[in-house]
Amino acid sequence: MTTSTHGADLDVRDLTRVFGDHRAVDGVTFTAPSGLLTGFVGGNGAGKTTTMRMIMGVLAITGGEVRFGGDPVTALDRRSFGYMPEERGLYPKQPVLDQLVYLARLRGIPQRAARTEVLGHLERLGLADRSKDHVEKLSLGNQQRVQIIAALMGSPRALILDEPFSGLDPAAVDGMVDLLREHTARGVPVLFSSHQLDLVERLCERLVILKAGRVVAAGEPARLQETGRVRHRLVVSRDAGWVRGVPGVHAVDVDGPVALVELADAASGQRLLAAAVERDVVHEFTPLRPTLAEIYREVTA
Amino acid sequence: MSTLTTSTTGSTAPTPDAGPSRENATRNAWLIVMNREIVVRALNKTFLVGLLVSIVLIAALAGFFAWQDSRTESFDVAVPAGDTTAAAAVGSAVAVAEEQDAGVRIGTVEVADDDAARAALADGDADAWLHEGDDGWVLAARGEPDGALTQLLAAGVEKEVLERNAAAAGTSVTELSAGSGLTTERLDGSAIDSGTLFFASFALALLFFLGAIGSGQMIAGSVVEEKQSRLVEIMATAVPLRHLLVGKILGSSVIALGQNVIFAGVGLVALSFTPMAGMLPALSTSLVWFVLFFAVGFLGLAALFAVSGALASRTEDLQHTTTPMMMAVMGTYFLTFSASGTFETVLSYVPITNVVSMPVRVLSGEAVWWEPLVSLLVLAAFTWVALLVCERAYRGALMQTGGRLSWRQALRAEA
Repeated sequence: MTTSTHGADLDVRDLTRVFGDHRAVDGVTFTAPSGLLTGFVGGNGAGKTTTMRMIMGVLAITGGEVRFGGDPVTALDRRSFGYMPEERGLYPKQPVLDQLVYLARLRGIPQRAARTEVLGHLERLGLADRSKDHVEKLSLGNQQRVQIIAALMGSPRALILDEPFSGLDPAAVDGMVDLLREHTARGVPVLFSSHQLDLVERLCERLVILKAGRVVAAGEPARLQETGRVRHRLVVSRDAGWVRGVPGVHAVDVDGPVALVELADAASGQRLLAAAVERDVVHEFTPLRPTLAEIYREVTA
Repeated sequence: MSTLTTSTTGSTAPTPDAGPSRENATRNAWLIVMNREIVVRALNKTFLVGLLVSIVLIAALAGFFAWQDSRTESFDVAVPAGDTTAAAAVGSAVAVAEEQDAGVRIGTVEVADDDAARAALADGDADAWLHEGDDGWVLAARGEPDGALTQLLAAGVEKEVLERNAAAAGTSVTELSAGSGLTTERLDGSAIDSGTLFFASFALALLFFLGAIGSGQMIAGSVVEEKQSRLVEIMATAVPLRHLLVGKILGSSVIALGQNVIFAGVGLVALSFTPMAGMLPALSTSLVWFVLFFAVGFLGLAALFAVSGALASRTEDLQHTTTPMMMAVMGTYFLTFSASGTFETVLSYVPITNVVSMPVRVLSGEAVWWEPLVSLLVLAAFTWVALLVCERAYRGALMQTGGRLSWRQALRAEA
């Protein structure tokens, strides 16, 4: 087996899934680019898991398509994808090493190579001395590590991970992210879903926000933050209630000398600042970039 | 979820442009799955303990029969002193007991009169008191006289009294009964009596029951374990689901068959220590047929049990989804070991019940040589259809995560 150093993009085109008369996923389109971490966020029931299951082919697609490296994805492509389903588990009564080797062999890795690779991964994640233990004896965090190993075996050409970080402590998250970075460095597209927005903000090069089965925002987090509504904070020494009267300025909140405003355009900002300087001493006038959480709340509201 | 029309791509065969190593792996996937099923089961402590307990039970049962058979009971019968007919009747009973090897030894105690006889019974010096009453003969004891003893003495008394009466009429029993003998003859030459047949049909039905229930539940449990943990989703992206099902069915069949071969072997060895040892050749032929029928029939049963597992969404649902299968297996068990006559002939052709009924008919010598072959073909056809239908239902049900499913939903849903 050769390890490809050039990667392929994973494209989701107009993907749709209908359950009865409910459109769980409704025309979802986005790209998880080669070599980048793409975060997939959205509330419960937004369609993240359904989309990921369709990408992996475990759920039939009602409409649209998944493309890998520009061509429609095949069963063979999917065999080379690493996948971590949600609500996952393992064989509780089988030793860690045995079942990872079993899963590796099903993916076409010969016994000996599978063993070597699994032991290497267990070593890296600090589980080497647990390899003979039954999975049910491991802590939840360690079980999660075993599950991620199951997805990373055999140099996958794409990684589809449903909530890979849930239940992990910050150090474990960092360890796992390092591991994922090694795969993105090989050019692998990594798509992962998460509820932890701060984590997504910190890790991802790309972001896809889903709401009620539709993509409501997608792109680089920094770009999204720029296009989000920028607010300004004005701090003067006396009551700032007068800002409400400045044309082109919408006062979101005024609390004594501190005002939070939205500006219709750049000129309104200049007008506001001029008025402030005229009336009072200006302590602060700063643009506030929205956090991802704020963008999320805004687009999913 | 009733309007699903598209098909899952995760379960289709790989495209022709598959690389050689990965393609080979796909072809052998069922073998990898089968190996795991066998190894995991064979190392399972509960399974091993169950196996051991069953073997001990079979050996103990055979041992009990052997002991029961070799046991000798002895009785002392009180007869009035000087009563030659009574003494002769006991003597003839002793002769019959020896001839039949019935395990009964009879001694005689002479008593002076009725009071002495009652005293002997009360003291335990005698177990029974044979004497002539006003209206024929009487066998008295403290409680109900022993059945085997009564039977032997009744024959003895009848013989002696007949001879006395015949002598009084100026003739002899031999003369009177000349030409009245009835002997039985079996044209098929089989040496199997009805008791052995019943025992054999009971044993085969039990073997079927233990193998089918044990391994059936195993495969259902292992399917739902993979479904519940979503391991099946990971595996479905790696190999066609058909391979997973085939591997599981073959793995559990190997276990079930191996278990039955062990049980049958232990049973046969144990039987060789009992008086039924003479039946061993006939029993062995029947057992070979049974193993053959079981091997074919269990493949279909295992597939049905696998779907029962796939219909559940959690282990807790298993009890509900496997109920129809459990009823079918238990029904087969009860029907086959109690059936006889035309009903048994019918059962010996109906799939699944024929696994037990046809080998029993082979044992009784009732089945003509081609009958087991035809019945086996019927069973093979049943298994083939079961495999085809189950493969579809299994694929349909496995990826459904929304609770328990029905057969109809599983067959209609395709992913």
